[in-house]
Amino acid sequence: MSKYDVILDTLPAKGDRTEILFRQAGDGFIQVEYGYEQRVELLDSFRILAADAKIKQMNIKGLIETLPSLRANMIHFDPTVIAPRDLIDKIKEVEESLKGVDDMVIDSRIITLPIAFEDSETKKAVSLYSKQVRPNAPNCDNGYNLEYMAQCNGCTVEDIKHMLLDTYWYNSGCGFWPGGGFFWPMDPRCKMIVPKYNPPRIWTPEGAVGIGGACLFTYTTATGGGYQLFGRTIPTFQLSMKHPQFKEGPFLYRPSGDRIKFVEVSEEEILDIYDHVHEKTDYVYDIQESQLVVKDYIEFLAQPEVVKGAEEFAARQEQGSKTTPKL
Amino acid sequence: MIKVINGGIEILVEDWPGRLGYMGLGMAAAGAMDNLALQLGNMIVGNEAGEAGLEIAGGYCQFEIVEDGIIAITGSDMSPTINDEEVSMWIAMAVQTGDILKFSHFGETGFRSYICISGGIDVPEYLGSKSTCLFGSYGGFEGRKLAKDDIISAAKKACSGIAGKKLNPKYIPEYTNLWELRAIPGPNSVPDYVTEKGMDYLFSTPMKISHNANRAAYRLGEVPDFFWAREDGGKGGSHPSNIVDHGYNMRGAINVTGNTPSILIADGPTLGGFVCVANVINADLWKIGQGIPARDKVVFKLVTVEEAIEARKERSAMFEANDLLI
Repeated sequence: MSKYDVILDTLPAKGDRTEILFRQAGDGFIQVEYGYEQRVELLDSFRILAADAKIKQMNIKGLIETLPSLRANMIHFDPTVIAPRDLIDKIKEVEESLKGVDDMVIDSRIITLPIAFEDSETKKAVSLYSKQVRPNAPNCDNGYNLEYMAQCNGCTVEDIKHMLLDTYWYNSGCGFWPGGGFFWPMDPRCKMIVPKYNPPRIWTPEGAVGIGGACLFTYTTATGGGYQLFGRTIPTFQLSMKHPQFKEGPFLYRPSGDRIKFVEVSEEEILDIYDHVHEKTDYVYDIQESQLVVKDYIEFLAQPEVVKGAEEFAARQEQGSKTTPKL
Repeated sequence: MIKVINGGIEILVEDWPGRLGYMGLGMAAAGAMDNLALQLGNMIVGNEAGEAGLEIAGGYCQFEIVEDGIIAITGSDMSPTINDEEVSMWIAMAVQTGDILKFSHFGETGFRSYICISGGIDVPEYLGSKSTCLFGSYGGFEGRKLAKDDIISAAKKACSGIAGKKLNPKYIPEYTNLWELRAIPGPNSVPDYVTEKGMDYLFSTPMKISHNANRAAYRLGEVPDFFWAREDGGKGGSHPSNIVDHGYNMRGAINVTGNTPSILIADGPTLGGFVCVANVINADLWKIGQGIPARDKVVFKLVTVEEAIEARKERSAMFEANDLLI
């Protein structure tokens, strides 16, 4: 027993549920962590978001906000209104009431986003980086990142584009930058992995689509950043809230299991959509209300061609990452 | 009501408790760095405690009063003057059109002063708050720091009986050069992330505030290698400070990147891939932004959650004390 101990309580593993830890994180914060060992597993996120939705529905007095991520949920509360002990009991109650992840059906919108690969704005970001931050960076050969990304994964630039377009990208939660989502590939055959820029960029245009590790991000506003770039998509955030899609708030993504799907278009089309989102405010976003049936997804993952494809890709990736210069 | 003649280093519109409820969408709370000085200033001029005021970092600024009203100056003493005459702080003062209000620079103690205006600052609320998030360029006055010729309006308010009200001197916060910040360990602590000896170091060693300290993060001096209980960050990355991305206990998180601890505050990141080893208690958040970059030190003091909750209650009781204003 140490005076620095932080684990306030636990729920043991049960069925397909991993152990849950309640970690002290301040006088107004508790972290609910799924599993003692760190892992990167979308099934954990499904469970976290299902629990998160229920916690929010309970209208717990004193709960200020929640901040779900891939394997934890940060709970922000006012301890003068609700005691930490009582809050933990309520979250345990939610956890015990959840079905096994096999039986879960999660509300999950499908947002279709056009993308122009290697457009002139993201090219400008790479060229500025090469001039101002790191000349001759191995990830910026020939003025862009796609070749480096292909090398890292032991595949071709065409393969990289296909992987981006062929899978749904699942949002495990929003954060880091206003309106930004953390997206993961649902098809393991598309799970490319790349290192982040070192050091980071000073500028990235609004709408840039990038990847760092296995996590994809669409830049909601112009900012710095370290993810390798594919190209540019349409606005996913609008501070001014002028466009009807953003009437209720500046955010496109919700922190609740959105999936995005990319379709390739020309740069002209992307620029035209910017005009119709930010100026004419009449672009119609392609958003489908939908559900994610976890059982179906688990079955998909178990299909022999998916398992085999994922293994083959992982092997190529291992070779690729060995022979690619580090950043 | 007040016009900026010289914007100095950084003047921002900030309220308290800031923009709560949007962390899960990537938006930090922002809000006043020294919430105690802001709230007391507002109470002196008869506003709601959490109303927005002007937060002045570093000083070197000048204003012209363009409409009669009542203001109070609180926070760090930057030798404020009106028409070149020294004025008192922590008191409601009537100001007249044409008055020139000047702030010198930060001095012996403290880094931020506040101007609270009776009636409050008239900027639109954005997502429920008037606070500026400088990093995201939204909220406050056009999402930016104030510059020459900006005019800040105040809401009209009956001002009789307010001028001359002042804070009972016994409640004036103490400013120093060694800031004791009470903190609670977690979520990443012993035995899995940090060694017992590492936590002992964190909770006993005065650490200098880096020159690289701003409204998102106050960076501190490095921790030694024996701080870490792990060889690497596992699935999160190669350094033991790495972790699979998780939400941060913001504001007040003590976040470590490499061997450099930072206190994440106001505009800080909401989520990321580095460990958070402790959290500065809510009642002490006000002290962080008063630390002078590249000069002052902070030292963390271990407390329990119960003590932290007690400190919150004491703060509320102080705001309600009968002898708060005299």
